[in-house]
Amino acid sequence: MKLALKLAAAFTVALVLGAGSAILLIRSGGLGGDVAVGPWETDLTIGSVQADPYTRARVAVAGLLALNRNETIYFTAGRDDEGDRLRISCSYKVIGSDPPARWWSITLYGEDHYLVPNPQNRYSVGGETVQRNEDGSFVISVGPEESNMNWIPTGDGQNGDTFTLTLRLYNPGEKAARDPGGISLPQIAKEACAS
Amino acid sequence: MKTWPLWIAGVIAVAAVFHILTVLAFPYGVMNRAIAGIAVQAGGVNKVVYPDLPTAEARGIVRPSPDLLYAACVYDVSDRPVKLSSPVPDTYWSLSTFAANTDNFFVVNDREVRSKRIEIILAANEDAVSEPGVPLIVAPSERGIVLFRSLVPSNEAVAEIDTLRKQANCEPL
Repeated sequence: MKLALKLAAAFTVALVLGAGSAILLIRSGGLGGDVAVGPWETDLTIGSVQADPYTRARVAVAGLLALNRNETIYFTAGRDDEGDRLRISCSYKVIGSDPPARWWSITLYGEDHYLVPNPQNRYSVGGETVQRNEDGSFVISVGPEESNMNWIPTGDGQNGDTFTLTLRLYNPGEKAARDPGGISLPQIAKEACAS
Repeated sequence: MKTWPLWIAGVIAVAAVFHILTVLAFPYGVMNRAIAGIAVQAGGVNKVVYPDLPTAEARGIVRPSPDLLYAACVYDVSDRPVKLSSPVPDTYWSLSTFAANTDNFFVVNDREVRSKRIEIILAANEDAVSEPGVPLIVAPSERGIVLFRSLVPSNEAVAEIDTLRKQANCEPL
């Protein structure tokens, strides 16, 4: 009887340790990976049959139904150029020029990986809608207050105090497909934070 | 003799097994939930659902793109093959299929189709009944998800693209 109780307790501890550590690892993993361009990260096996079990599990949580790299490359940023977490109370400038792809977009997501509610119903800026400067470059404002035409609101915090940006490159150009770590992507510069 | 080192080693070994099993099972669990959600919205398997442009209210699938109109169905090739068909709009468009473990095992976009319409047959194996001239794709799992994506370049284009995407279809042969 005593041995049976010991075995049951050991089994329970092993179950909690094993399953708990796995879920913790999967949920904290996000969509980052081994390719980084400034604050943007990606894992090139996302959506592909080459994905390892951990990547599959991470994608199931944070990017279910993602396309493989030949069709779309997903870069995600959870930090700015200085390495600080992206916060809804701060304002940022996303500065760059069109990345090498047939079509691109930058979308803001809350901590729960869903779109963030805002009165304007604005969630993204993309290659079809971005207002460009004369030289083709663009500046996208991300923050609680509208500051230019290319504005993505950070919302009122219903989805958490931090957020992530996802840059989608649909039909990436040859250079992006061959060497995604070697392409130029927009900077994310923090401007100010509400006290 | 002290037995606690053996107990600790045993707990660690069993915990490692549970860890691996959880990681392996996790994608299937999430995918099963997504499959169930789409099937309920569509009224069953091999039937298409046409959701509105994603907003903050959309809570079905994580990280939806607010720039795309989606159409989705749950394919089930356990009994017979499933025919996927859709008109192809003059904008970025793709048809993608996802297995029960989340793998994107097939994708084709508007530029690759080079036609105004696409037809694909999904089947459990290469010997399945097919139609002449229609490409056959072998699905690695009996059930999974088919997703049609259409880029909406402007608000003015919504109605036209919506009309086309609502012609996307999944039907058993």
